[in-house]
Amino acid sequence: MRNKEKLVEILLTLIGLSSVTVLGLIILFIFKEGLPAFAQVGLWQFVTGTRWSPGKNLLGILPMIAGSFVVTAGALVVGLPLGLGCAIYLSEFATAKTAAILKPTIELLAGIPSVVFGFIGLTLMVPFIRNFFGGPGFSVLASALVLGIMILPTMVSVSYDALRAVPPVYREGMLALGSTDWQAVKMVVLPAARPGILAAAILAMGRAIGETMAVIMVAGNSTIIPTSFLDPVRTLTSNIALEMGYATGLHRQALFATGVVLFVIISILNLTARVVVRGKTR
Amino acid sequence: MSATAPTGSECKVQAINFSFSYAYGETKALHSLNLAIRPGSLLTIMGPTGSGKTTFLRALNRLNDRVAGTGHTGQLLLDGKDVYGQEVDVAELRRRVGMVFALPTPLPLSIYENVAYGPRKKGIRSRAKLDTIVEKALKTAVIFEEVKDRLHSSAQRLSGGQQQRLALARVLAVDPEVILLDEPTSGLDPLSTLRIEETLRQLRSDFTIVLVTHDPLQAARIKSDVAFFYLGELVEIGPATEIFTRPQDRRTEDYITGKFG
Amino acid sequence: MIYSSKPVPTKPEQRPQAGRYFLRAFPVLIFIMIALSAMLSGCRPRAQTARGSITVAGSTSVQPFAEMLAEEYAGRFPERPPINIQGGGSSAGGRAVLTGAAQIGMLSRQPAEAEKELTVITIAHDALAVVVHPQNPVHGLSSDQIRAIFAGRFSNWSTVGGTSERIHVISREEGSGTRTAFDELIMAGSNVAARAIVQDSNGAVREAVAQDKNAIGYISLGLVDNRVKAIEVDNVKPTLANCRAGTYTLIRPFLFVTKEKLSASGQAFINFVLSDDGQNLLAEEGLVTDNQ
Repeated sequence: MRNKEKLVEILLTLIGLSSVTVLGLIILFIFKEGLPAFAQVGLWQFVTGTRWSPGKNLLGILPMIAGSFVVTAGALVVGLPLGLGCAIYLSEFATAKTAAILKPTIELLAGIPSVVFGFIGLTLMVPFIRNFFGGPGFSVLASALVLGIMILPTMVSVSYDALRAVPPVYREGMLALGSTDWQAVKMVVLPAARPGILAAAILAMGRAIGETMAVIMVAGNSTIIPTSFLDPVRTLTSNIALEMGYATGLHRQALFATGVVLFVIISILNLTARVVVRGKTR
Repeated sequence: MSATAPTGSECKVQAINFSFSYAYGETKALHSLNLAIRPGSLLTIMGPTGSGKTTFLRALNRLNDRVAGTGHTGQLLLDGKDVYGQEVDVAELRRRVGMVFALPTPLPLSIYENVAYGPRKKGIRSRAKLDTIVEKALKTAVIFEEVKDRLHSSAQRLSGGQQQRLALARVLAVDPEVILLDEPTSGLDPLSTLRIEETLRQLRSDFTIVLVTHDPLQAARIKSDVAFFYLGELVEIGPATEIFTRPQDRRTEDYITGKFG
Repeated sequence: MIYSSKPVPTKPEQRPQAGRYFLRAFPVLIFIMIALSAMLSGCRPRAQTARGSITVAGSTSVQPFAEMLAEEYAGRFPERPPINIQGGGSSAGGRAVLTGAAQIGMLSRQPAEAEKELTVITIAHDALAVVVHPQNPVHGLSSDQIRAIFAGRFSNWSTVGGTSERIHVISREEGSGTRTAFDELIMAGSNVAARAIVQDSNGAVREAVAQDKNAIGYISLGLVDNRVKAIEVDNVKPTLANCRAGTYTLIRPFLFVTKEKLSASGQAFINFVLSDDGQNLLAEEGLVTDNQ
């Protein structure tokens, strides 16, 4: 009996250690491969350089950093309000029957592979944007739209759970004063669910930053700093995916260095988000 | 059952053969309830869990509407009119029949704004009017003295007992006729509990108050009319002194002597 | 006062004895050993093939033709080991052969420095077609004009005889064989504009040009269909006849590269590709072969 306990304990320790270690090894690997690029190109030069042309040994990733930021921000602008609105509707206003149909449908969206989204974006959104707004169609706008829809399931599911976790008595306190459902939601439920909703937004943001396949298909992948929504753009992840197949030597190290920059950016964003969430729950 | 039974036109609240069920009829919460409450009285409803006391309360302001699958037969009258009538405006009903819950949930606003919320909703915009209403409500709820210097600080910083009195003030601010309280002191310390009970006693002549409690001793302390609910039925009703010294029903006697609870 | 970190069981025989430190360290030690051996074993990949199948990897331009050949090959010689075609780009193909991950590499450009040690076999030549939308009024451009467009110096179609619209330049990623060929044959030292849209395959470029009236791009001649229009370059039509005659000069080699020692089954496939049958198949698909 005692031995069985010990065995389970050992097993769990192994499992716990392995997941942490795998992550640690990946991080170590990326840094090991990428740091020489920083040394050779110069950290400042690398991060602020505006020309990316490995064939001519020009290695500046500022356009891609800008690209990642703009595309992610656009995706959040599209996906956050839509997702939150949907979650509020499902949680507070939909009848049980409606919710029973809608919620699984939205969760189904999460199972669609990103390449399918990219394909739909390519065949539907890109031409639409080109015809209606001008420009090549491959653009920040196309990426933001596609990504915004891709992060919907995450945003809806997690926000919905946060809203459902608010005890009914919060709503009832308001209703008993004669307020309407929406007033109750706005004044009590949303503030109470705020930490959970912020967590949903952070998760959605993480998904948007990391998405590669769909973005490559609709963003245009130009190495310019985007100045308009209709400009084509390249993100950090797309950069790695596009050129990884043939990169050698310094170029390959530069791609790993891009991975390092990505890792740092995501860490900073997550930390900031955590601090903000903690501040708001006090 | 010995009921202080005024006739129809005198009652503020009257239940006539009122039955209520959940889950599309599967769970019957109230069986053919017949009960009359006079205006300007304080009725304490006591009984063990599952006796239907909270169901009755929430039927009065139709909060039970929010649960799918609820149904009722019979009538539940407020001033002679069925609260489940077709033309009843539920929001208006809930203003006339205010409710204080076991868990006070102040809005994430200042104390002033919490109390002013209801009146604002009714359309009162004038600052002077709101000031008057807020002050009166806070005084009636016996909390004004404690908070008058920090009306604009956050309501969520108040203690449990204070928040509960604030909840009462919030209800009072919209000028209700009936005040329902669902186990309002269950989460409070004894001192706050006594203060609330004291406040209710003072209020009773101006409103019709129905208080649900899990604690028979509280019913005894408040010295109002007491109704004993058990398994969805009204078993006995009468003044506190009668119920606690000469209960007529065996079940009432067992409950107040602590044989079950 | 010493506080225990875990609740101490009451019965003496349940309390951990002196061996408890070892017990705690045990899983960690095991884990380190496993982790180390896993890391070390990943060091050298071998080209283990499943029952002798041949892997052919590399240029996405050569890929569709190789796939067609492999299908034909399997149809004619069903008893021979299967041929596996993969994409990845010319550079990836070269690397795959060097490391042993593939037996044959496909290149759509001349071998690079690192690939010089491999055996090179030309299987055909491919022409690069510069394509625009079928409704674009422009029928032909000089190579100077094409260079200026792709470098971003000309930005409006009206400069070269078209309508007054912005030119949308579609290019390939740096390091694709097609891109390298285009750089060498047309750009001659100038950079393709940073603003150019980059797509990751011939097919994607063709799709992009087919949808956009103002787009211009370059793809393999063999992949031109009626959804795009291949324009004249320096007044020479991009036809197979002109390629063979030598007047259309945007030509690049399609190469197979292998290590010196190639298995018999790999050699058999290459023999098929170089045979009259194989060459005719390639010519039918629009490539320029030597046997015509």
